[in-house]
Amino acid sequence: METTYTPKKNMYLLFAALIIIGIIAIITGFLTDTERTWSNILLNNYYFITIAIGATLFYSLQYITNSGWSALIQRVPMSLGAFLPVGAVLMLLMYFGLPQVYEWAQPGITETDKLIAHKAPFLNVPFFMIRLVFYFALFLSAAWVLRKYAKLEDENADLKYHKKSRYYAQVFIFVAAIFFSFASKDWLMTIDSHWYSTLFGFRNMVLSMYYGSAAVILMVLFLRSQGYFAKVNDAHFHDLARYIFRFSIVFGYLWFMQFLILWYANIPELTVYYYPRFLGDWQTLFYVELFINFVIPFVVMMSDDLGKKPKVLLAISTLLMIGLWISIFVQIMPGAYGPMKFGFIEIGMWLGYAGLFLGATFMALSKFSLVPKNHPYLEESIHHHI
Amino acid sequence: MAYKHIIAKFKEEAVLLKALTKMQQEKVTLVDIYGPFATHDILRKFTRESKLPYASIIYGLLSLTGIFGLMYYTSVIDYPINYGGKPYFSFPPMVVIMFLVTILGTTILSVLTFHGRSMVFPGKPTKIIDTDVTDDTFYMVVDQNYNPEEIKGWLQESGADEVFEKEF
Repeated sequence: METTYTPKKNMYLLFAALIIIGIIAIITGFLTDTERTWSNILLNNYYFITIAIGATLFYSLQYITNSGWSALIQRVPMSLGAFLPVGAVLMLLMYFGLPQVYEWAQPGITETDKLIAHKAPFLNVPFFMIRLVFYFALFLSAAWVLRKYAKLEDENADLKYHKKSRYYAQVFIFVAAIFFSFASKDWLMTIDSHWYSTLFGFRNMVLSMYYGSAAVILMVLFLRSQGYFAKVNDAHFHDLARYIFRFSIVFGYLWFMQFLILWYANIPELTVYYYPRFLGDWQTLFYVELFINFVIPFVVMMSDDLGKKPKVLLAISTLLMIGLWISIFVQIMPGAYGPMKFGFIEIGMWLGYAGLFLGATFMALSKFSLVPKNHPYLEESIHHHI
Repeated sequence: MAYKHIIAKFKEEAVLLKALTKMQQEKVTLVDIYGPFATHDILRKFTRESKLPYASIIYGLLSLTGIFGLMYYTSVIDYPINYGGKPYFSFPPMVVIMFLVTILGTTILSVLTFHGRSMVFPGKPTKIIDTDVTDDTFYMVVDQNYNPEEIKGWLQESGADEVFEKEF
């Protein structure tokens, strides 16, 4: 069994090519439509930060629940969190585009808009940036500590590192649960600055784990096709498939609850968010989002046997990656940009970010032993069966 | 309807597994296996096809269409009331009720089907295989088939602690 992952050289060339496509897309975007480009930068930042946070949450959850089955693949969710520092830098660059995306950041808006003036003590540019730095400081330090103890555990066979990992997994879950909710509210909800939903932050935080686990499945399947992870069997896939199944129900529930209450109350300040999405240009995407993220995974994963088939998992996880994009697209674009436009800028920038994300992930993955060497549950995981 | 069954008693699950393999090689009809805990190897070998999940899906769809039909009938056809200018047929508030009634209908109908199919009902006389059946012992209940003596011999051979016949 191979113990360390050695990436092929042309893979990094591919990622470099993807990043170049992304840079070209950003340049064309800035030359044609600045507002759309800044909105897309925010979209892609949030997309990949969601996956990174979600995967690290997945990793932490395995520790606090004392899960044995996942010890074999636990380096995959850990490496998926490696994008976080890159995401932090890219998110800091949003400073230059704040007025393009956020209505409240436009100079002089507080004089004409009473509601924004009322919210100004919280929604102002310096405080927004302070919060952004604070969130990332917490996420990065918690994720860094987790990685440090994983590395130490590989070097010395000592149970105390496992216990430390377990302790800091609790810290990470606590930090991400509170501050990723707030971050989602800060970065996405304030785009429609007149509107608010108390469920919004919670929804985005919980669903980050949905897409995090989908990304974990894709990575495990990719590594297995490369000849690693020979010990990963049906039962592991089945357990991973259950994550998708359960979170699809959570998605359906939270999506509908946010919508139903605002629809029923029918208060103009609140329905303003759903008006373009439910009745305007975005109507199709609004339903497509629900269909891809809830209906298809729910119906397919209901069958026990289908969840064990790698091909089905591959299809569903790929679909979920598209579903996450549509979900964030529908959350950002109607408020930040307006009309629905989809073209080279969107695709190219997503490809560029994907190159960056995969590059960071594979670099982190090749630094560690692919299978944890001294994990106490490793044997249990290798013999996992249901 | 009582007729004789062959019952083999085992202390070790490994021995039971050996006997089970032998029985399946000889294509003997098994009735049931009792044990103090769930054993994956036994579950994997001694599987039974159940059509209950398919029945549940049908019940679920029936409940879904049934409750939708009822709500549509009451709120649109029979007694339309204008609530704050919303259309008579408004789907979103129906979803929660449809969800709950689907679960309720599916559960109740599935439970009834399961009990009907496995002949379990209140007041049914208890079927006791042996006094140790709730203890730390494994039991394999085998149908008489056409060669009861031969089956008993195989069970003895594979290491059963005790082989006896019981009518139930």
